[in-house]
Amino acid sequence: MLVLPPVSVPSLRTSPTLLEISADNWRLASLVGVVVSALAVAALPADVAFWIVGALVALVAVAFVVNAYRRRYYGGLLVAPAIAVLFAMNIFPLLWSLGLSFFAYQSNRQSIWFVGLNNYIKVLTNDIAAADNWHALINTGMFVVLTVSAQMIVGFMLAMLFAKQFPLRKYLLILVLTPMMLSVVASGVFFTYYYDPTFGILSYAINSIAGGQFILMDSKAGAVAGIVFADAWMWSPFVMLLVLAGLVSVPKYLYEAAAIDRVSAWRRFWTITFPYIRGLLMLALLFRTIEAFKLADLVILLTKGGNDTMTISYHLIRIANEQNKTSEGAAISYIMLFMVIVLTNLYLYLANRRTRES
Amino acid sequence: MMTTKIKVAMVAAGLAASLMIGGAGPSLADEVTLRMAVPDWPPTRIMKKFFDEQYKPKSGNAVKLEVDFIPWPDFYTRVNASLTSGERKYNFIVSDSQWLGAFVEGGYFRKVNDLLEADPEFKKTFMDIHPSLLNAYSTYPYKSQNYYGFPQFPDVLVTYARKDVICDETEQKNFLAKYKKKLPCTGEEIDAMTWDDFRNVGEFFRRRKGEMLAGKPAEDDFYGIAVQAGKGYDFSSMQVNGLIWQMGGDIWDETKVPKGQAQGVVNSPAAVKALEKYLSLLEYMPPVAKTGTMDIFKTDELFREGKVAMNVNWIGLGEASLDPKISRVSDKLVFGMMPGTTGPDGKIVRWSNIGGQPFVLTTWTTDAQIKEAVEFVKWWLSSGIQHQFAAAGGQSGIKSVYSDPKYVAYRPWNRTWAPSLDWQKDVWHVPQFFELLTQQQDQFDRAITGKQNAKTTLDNIAKFQQNLLSEAGLIK
Amino acid sequence: MAADTSIWQRIGFRRSFGVAEAGWGRTLVVAGVSFVYFLPVLFIIFTAIKPQALALSVPPTLSPTSLFGLIPDQFVFTPTLENFSSVFSRVMTGGGQPEPTGFDRFFFNSIVIASASVLLALILGTLAAYGFSRYPLKGNDTYLFIILTTRMLPAIVVIIPVILMFRAVGLSGSYLGIILLYTAFNLAFTIWMMKSFFDELSTDVEDAARIDGSSGTRVFLKICLPQVVAGLAATFVFGLILTWNEFLFALLVTGPDTRTVPVAMNQAVSSGGRGTDWTLLAAIETLFLIPVFLVTFFLQEHLLRGVTFGTVRK
Repeated sequence: MLVLPPVSVPSLRTSPTLLEISADNWRLASLVGVVVSALAVAALPADVAFWIVGALVALVAVAFVVNAYRRRYYGGLLVAPAIAVLFAMNIFPLLWSLGLSFFAYQSNRQSIWFVGLNNYIKVLTNDIAAADNWHALINTGMFVVLTVSAQMIVGFMLAMLFAKQFPLRKYLLILVLTPMMLSVVASGVFFTYYYDPTFGILSYAINSIAGGQFILMDSKAGAVAGIVFADAWMWSPFVMLLVLAGLVSVPKYLYEAAAIDRVSAWRRFWTITFPYIRGLLMLALLFRTIEAFKLADLVILLTKGGNDTMTISYHLIRIANEQNKTSEGAAISYIMLFMVIVLTNLYLYLANRRTRES
Repeated sequence: MMTTKIKVAMVAAGLAASLMIGGAGPSLADEVTLRMAVPDWPPTRIMKKFFDEQYKPKSGNAVKLEVDFIPWPDFYTRVNASLTSGERKYNFIVSDSQWLGAFVEGGYFRKVNDLLEADPEFKKTFMDIHPSLLNAYSTYPYKSQNYYGFPQFPDVLVTYARKDVICDETEQKNFLAKYKKKLPCTGEEIDAMTWDDFRNVGEFFRRRKGEMLAGKPAEDDFYGIAVQAGKGYDFSSMQVNGLIWQMGGDIWDETKVPKGQAQGVVNSPAAVKALEKYLSLLEYMPPVAKTGTMDIFKTDELFREGKVAMNVNWIGLGEASLDPKISRVSDKLVFGMMPGTTGPDGKIVRWSNIGGQPFVLTTWTTDAQIKEAVEFVKWWLSSGIQHQFAAAGGQSGIKSVYSDPKYVAYRPWNRTWAPSLDWQKDVWHVPQFFELLTQQQDQFDRAITGKQNAKTTLDNIAKFQQNLLSEAGLIK
Repeated sequence: MAADTSIWQRIGFRRSFGVAEAGWGRTLVVAGVSFVYFLPVLFIIFTAIKPQALALSVPPTLSPTSLFGLIPDQFVFTPTLENFSSVFSRVMTGGGQPEPTGFDRFFFNSIVIASASVLLALILGTLAAYGFSRYPLKGNDTYLFIILTTRMLPAIVVIIPVILMFRAVGLSGSYLGIILLYTAFNLAFTIWMMKSFFDELSTDVEDAARIDGSSGTRVFLKICLPQVVAGLAATFVFGLILTWNEFLFALLVTGPDTRTVPVAMNQAVSSGGRGTDWTLLAAIETLFLIPVFLVTFFLQEHLLRGVTFGTVRK
């Protein structure tokens, strides 16, 4: 059978040379865009510069689209609208704050000047600022490990429960999925109630059984446990859903064959089931880790960072928003981003290597 | 983009229409809209309600007050982001007094001295505001002659107490036997309390579930006292500052810039003793105090649910305790001033940290808007409206209003209002306030949860402040 | 599942789903676990129908019914619907008349904004995912990774530039602004999910159709899309859950008219000059849960199959 190659549709035209004035000359458009934008930002007031830069971005985009259309880069055309939205709403602001991280800038002051890498040096080494950052980072690491592993374990066990077809399964499954549909504000505030030593259910139950006065949140261990529990409770269903999807996809005949061969349950799991859920476990791990790095809302609601539960994300909110130290905040967030990227790549690398092995 | 086009079209149509009608008849009244960002709670809801029902602009213009009610927990985040991003959305902003410096320096809050000078009537009303309130809500630098804000809801700390418990005869007798001093029962007796008396109340009323309390077995564990001791926002500083001032210590004093020091002042022996006294109260409070989350809302909740005998809290939370639907103690209340400290002359020293919020004008408000805004503020501060506001549960900072005999009758705590005002001081107005505040709250929290002692805590705070303020050029 | 097996087979997808059967015994065990897992939610729902005065009672009131005397009286409360009506109208000025709270508007906003942005993300994301899958660009993986990184940073980092930008182009406080922002917010997840679905599809049928002279658009619409309906449903649900509860962007870029429920919900967290109004908060959350709960429930089957189909390698 004749298979069309997906990409290499032969170009109908040759690319225009760099200086040729042509609607599809994206190289020239980009060059002009960058130079003029830089000049505009440097020389003109922000309000005017904004529109100039915007117009140039549009110009470059048009050049790219015309180019893609004329040369039949359908991939580019399909991807373009999504990239455009992402660029405008996400990547552009990200680059903006990346830029700010090299300046001394506080959003509630009018002055701004270039300081190079000083913000990064400050947040990593300054004897007052850096200690807090490192501390919050270590706490975040702890929360990432604890919440993600709790979610993976609970999610996995829940998935095992639901892996078979049984009466009313559909209705029971939706009960377990509900926690992740709650708004974090509501569930977090209600967890403060559950944990409250005077009014709360937890202390009431423990006091009734054991006597005395039980206070969960008065030590680091208790506070961390409280936060991890709430977070794991909310997001284990996410992991469960992904794992469950893997579990139900294992072909029945494989189990039947295993039953005939009298393979032990443990071996059956590793050789038959696990390969089907590994990819999904990795995806769950990836997304949950990224989210766990951003853990702030539950900490704010439950402890305000007390009992040594400050996370880097909450610390960042304080610095960048409450104290308006914008560029310092940007520097911290880029250090964070760097760490998450390294970690994500490690995951993806491991995932890919395993896949290749099998 | 669509909306802009439509707007342009509408403006154009409107212009054409007015051109056709124009010429004939008197000039049409202008429409002026004032946009205001406020926290969502009764004092601001009442303001808006009064405006809608009663406000008649003298200019004859159609004045609209567009109020954005933002829930309290996110109020700062929202306002700060709106101001610092240059959104220029609001003409009026309700601001905590501490925020003044940060937003004045940023060029967002408009100085109003020129408006006061231009309108003697306005200035007269303005100057009738109690000086403590005027300094706290309006001045930057603190206590200077640069005015920015007008009181929206002024607030002070008072003592909430339960008559049914503290006036019980058996309890009275036992207390007298134990401490050789009468257990306060009336508002005046509560006024006369020192922190030591307050501590005794805490110790005395600690009851376990089932033990006798005011002639009945207690339904649940009962505690004598509650005082804010939370890590969030300013939920311990506001209390600790008062104690420090009362006991002869001081916080970093911004009116002494650049000579005023942090090191040696903030951690002076008097301040350390004051913090120790504050910390010594914690053991008589409900167990949530040990978690660092006992903020003003938690103490209020504990008090309304009948778990404590006395609570020091803002007047702003008082309405809830009077509401029988959400308060188990609504019919058992008595109010007094916040406890004080006996001074060297035997008189009670009552320094306390002021609460409440002013509202301020923003710098991008146009002249036409400012004209109407001034009229609006004059109307708001006018005696009639202030009286109505107080009758609906607000407080007034205007001398002629709160010294009116009627005023005391509006609410049971109003008796304490005028005498408390003389003793109010404010925390820093400098732009670095949030850094100062967060670090101090973090440190106090460590002391409250038992991780470090008072001395270490204040040493850490002093060191941080000395460093930060020296870098900012405020300490030389 | 059985009903549409034929469709799957017709398009060349052959996999027998290995869901073993289990009886009522399993139902009992799972019901026990699910019930315990659901308890914190159940408590919120019960709080929503509790009389306001009992919200903080000690011992806590746990149930609107004594279950034929199974639950001791001290834990039982008489249910009320009052809290639901105070979500929409209640006294806000101490002693005044009940006023509308604007929550009808906030619910409407939440529904419009969440559904519009998730659908938009689904359309753009599916197109992009198809592009990434069928016409890989040079450095395809790098682009995909960059797209993923947009989800890695806390929202607070980008918020100042976003507000500035919105002000400059007049999007501040408009529906369009927040919808576009949420669309971007959902795109990363949508593209990653949908790409893996397209990657799993057998290309035989598509190629055959192309040879028969079908246009690219036709191949995409008539052949590829029907095969990933389950994936679209799964992505829709995940996107909806995340967008539905988003807080920070909603707080900072919506105006009074476009405010969503998660932001307005804080009215009940610090309510009218006191702390949390527990019953009101519970009532808001319960109402707010219903739409997303129903959508998830009705798309549940798709959800499971969708995730499976998309991400497990053959």
